[in-house]
Amino acid sequence: MKKSYPPKPLFIERMKLLLGKDFKEYEEILKKEPVRSIRVNTLKISPEKLKKRLEEKGWKINQPWKDYPEVMIIESNLEPGELGRALEHLLGYYYVQELASMLPIIVLKPKPNETILDLCAAPGSKTTQIAAEMKNTGLIIANEIHLGRIKILASNLERCGVTNTIITRKEGRALCKRLKQKDFKFDKILLDAPCSGEGTLRSTPITYQMWNFKTIRRLSRLQKQLFEAAFEILKIGGEIIYSTCTHAPEENEEIIDYVIKRFGDKIKMEEISLPIKCRPGISKWKDKEYDKKVKQACRIYPQDNNTEGFFITKFRRVK
Amino acid sequence: MTLKILSINEKKKIEKSLKEQFGIDKIPGLLVKRGEERIFLFQGSLSPKEITELEKTILLERVGIYFAKIIRDEPKLSIEGTQILKDQIKKNIFELNKEQAEQWMTGQELNIKTGKRSFLIMKYKDDLLGCGKASEEKITNFIPKSRRLKIK
Repeated sequence: MKKSYPPKPLFIERMKLLLGKDFKEYEEILKKEPVRSIRVNTLKISPEKLKKRLEEKGWKINQPWKDYPEVMIIESNLEPGELGRALEHLLGYYYVQELASMLPIIVLKPKPNETILDLCAAPGSKTTQIAAEMKNTGLIIANEIHLGRIKILASNLERCGVTNTIITRKEGRALCKRLKQKDFKFDKILLDAPCSGEGTLRSTPITYQMWNFKTIRRLSRLQKQLFEAAFEILKIGGEIIYSTCTHAPEENEEIIDYVIKRFGDKIKMEEISLPIKCRPGISKWKDKEYDKKVKQACRIYPQDNNTEGFFITKFRRVK
Repeated sequence: MTLKILSINEKKKIEKSLKEQFGIDKIPGLLVKRGEERIFLFQGSLSPKEITELEKTILLERVGIYFAKIIRDEPKLSIEGTQILKDQIKKNIFELNKEQAEQWMTGQELNIKTGKRSFLIMKYKDDLLGCGKASEEKITNFIPKSRRLKIK
């Protein structure tokens, strides 16, 4: 049983404002254990084979999205930690990954032989997902600033047999600057930005305790700078996914609004299609009005799909 | 830690050992040395020259994944090394039964006389489980702690 932490009054107030009549439902789902989901590592095994193996162990498997058979929910009652201890996990046949966290890569649609930057890559769930889509071809630069997290990233890439990736350790903005100096450009960039993590309260309740508005403001500034830096090394015609696992508009729509104003006709927001219920981005928050295009962003709330919370947007560089 | 991309000749030397040991013909990708013994396999689209150029700009923590360790000129393949080369491995395979596979994955050595004194590929059904070192009385285990099965 995870330790519970009381939410801070300001957090409750903000979520009530964001969700209105749906707040009650949101509050209820946060009390429930998150769904146990895995993503089959298709670099090592097919979804059919793994499903058969896991069913032979007595696990009940559900594949919730018909176009993505690699996504599985384990419906049986497992012991705590059993997913991570299983032989199939140790051999790299699957990655324990929350459903909503798989969505940015579904939007990114990596293709073989592309050059992709994962700017804030640890622990590697999305990097390994990108590599699987690329069938270990092309190139992924997976960057992470913290040494401790690099070790986790490297260990996950190894376990999943990801051979097309170079891990770099650099502050994100500085990395982009260096790459720009070398004229190193990418077909696609994933900016799964460092965020306040409001969407992860079900799996990481300690987020309640760490939450504060000052951090949101600080992260918002960093997220804008990271996006600006990343845009500079995106090829013309290339795509960038901006995602967070938070609901705070200051870290989501505010960034999108900033980017639209900052890059003008150089950038275009793209439609997103996902296998779950998404709500549009919000164009008004407190006293702020955002560009109407922010509505094309995708807000994922825990109560809508029984997942964690996420925010996803997709842009194309046109000039 | 500095990275060294192995030359064609250095790679050929490792391929020759792998051919003798396991019947492996070709390593698909670039080999990168990190430290004295650890060899990494990189299958990305950068050439050795491009990697060297990139390294001048940014600190590269890892290029590819841990593939093998060279011990007294003999390559010891990692779990991923054996999995990547699965279709090429023709000899010196030790087929484990269910009980032995479980023992192996918990990190224990196997008290088995194989009549060999070399590295063996450990296999259970379709699963390749890395390399073991056969000696007179046993097969020494190299499964890293983080990959070991914990039996309750």
